Amino acid sequence: MAEPVTEAAHAAAGAAAEHGSGGLPQFDLAQWPGQMVWMLIIFGILYFLFSKVFVPKLGNTISAREDRISGDIAAARKMKEESEAQAAAVAQEVAQARAQAQKLAGDAKAKAKAESAVRQAEEEAKLAKSLAAAEVRIFEARDKALSQVSGIASDTAEAIVAKLTGKAATAAELKAAVTA
Amino acid sequence: MAAIEPMHQFMIQKIVDLPPVMVPGLGAIDLSITNSVFTMMMAATIITVFFLFSSRGAVVPGRMQALAETVYDLVDKGLTGSMIGDRGRPFLPFIFTLFSFVAVLDLIGMFPEQFAVTAQLAVTATLALLTFFIVLVVGFAKNGLGFFKLFVPSGVAWPMLFILVPIEFISFLVRPVTLAMRLFGNIIGGHVVMYMFGSFVVGLGGFAIANGGLAYLGLVGSALSLSMVIALMALEFIVAFLQAFVFAALTCTYLSDVVNLDHGH
Repeated sequence: MAEPVTEAAHAAAGAAAEHGSGGLPQFDLAQWPGQMVWMLIIFGILYFLFSKVFVPKLGNTISAREDRISGDIAAARKMKEESEAQAAAVAQEVAQARAQAQKLAGDAKAKAKAESAVRQAEEEAKLAKSLAAAEVRIFEARDKALSQVSGIASDTAEAIVAKLTGKAATAAELKAAVTA
Repeated sequence: MAAIEPMHQFMIQKIVDLPPVMVPGLGAIDLSITNSVFTMMMAATIITVFFLFSSRGAVVPGRMQALAETVYDLVDKGLTGSMIGDRGRPFLPFIFTLFSFVAVLDLIGMFPEQFAVTAQLAVTATLALLTFFIVLVVGFAKNGLGFFKLFVPSGVAWPMLFILVPIEFISFLVRPVTLAMRLFGNIIGGHVVMYMFGSFVVGLGGFAIANGGLAYLGLVGSALSLSMVIALMALEFIVAFLQAFVFAALTCTYLSDVVNLDHGH
């Protein structure tokens, strides 16, 4: 169907190549060598660019990105682990400090208790001592008072007897009367 | 009314005339810059500029770099990695070049007034032969004469080998032909069909308007053809990308055959 066109082209190109059966312009072998040579040249240049520039560059970029992402993740994981370790250490320190503080407080309390107990005992001893002294004094005073009571009684009795009888009673009589 | 010439779009036209270069043993080669050569140069320029600006190596990629890295991932993990394995690493630049070159040429061909280079059998055949020879060279370099084990399927009763070895050998030799024809056929077919439906849009519409009366029915055909063109455009964009992927994927499979020969495949 396109025979006249290809024929004209052949004539224009001045090609003496034998025609393909279909009469397609693609089968005009006169046009092959130029296209083949140029294609190989262009393909060769492209191949050179791809193998020396584009493929290494793109490959490096992609692998660098992957490395960086995995590196960042590893760093983040490491930091997380570190912070967790630090948090654990801090918690341990706090617990230790608390235990120490509790121990200190306990010790202080026990010490204070012991001291106060000692002081109390001392005070108590002092008090008991003064109490005893006081008691002794009281007893002495009572005894004294009591001994004076018999004197008063005999005096009173003497006075009463003298008033009643008009004569003084003897000392022996008074004593017997008072002690009776 | 213009004649319907669906093959005219594939004509090679000279843009810059250069004197033929004499190559010993091959004769004179016309190295003039044609529309085909020019489009290949354009594709190479687009690829170079794109990857120069998109592989700046930012840790946080911009849009262009993200696209470039997506393509890199596709070729690295999707093609060489999954099809050849760890031994495919050295072939990454080759597969990457092949995929980008074919994909960009396919896509340039999708734009109006642009030349479809991948519809040139000369170009697809050169790419296929390049792949074929690289497979041969890599095969002999890696395996020495063990390369011929490729044609001997393992786990087969030995009398069967008389049949299987020739079949394997022929299928190996046919690889560059199918590789070249697949890309060439897909692109030329798509462009011819798009051209035909496009010419129906204009032809039927012009016929309807010129003749009037019952001929106005032609407008229905014109509208239907237009919707076909739109649908075909979408399809051909997919085909453009897919054929580049298929070409690269098959190259990977062929390379894997010879690279992983001692592992069984």
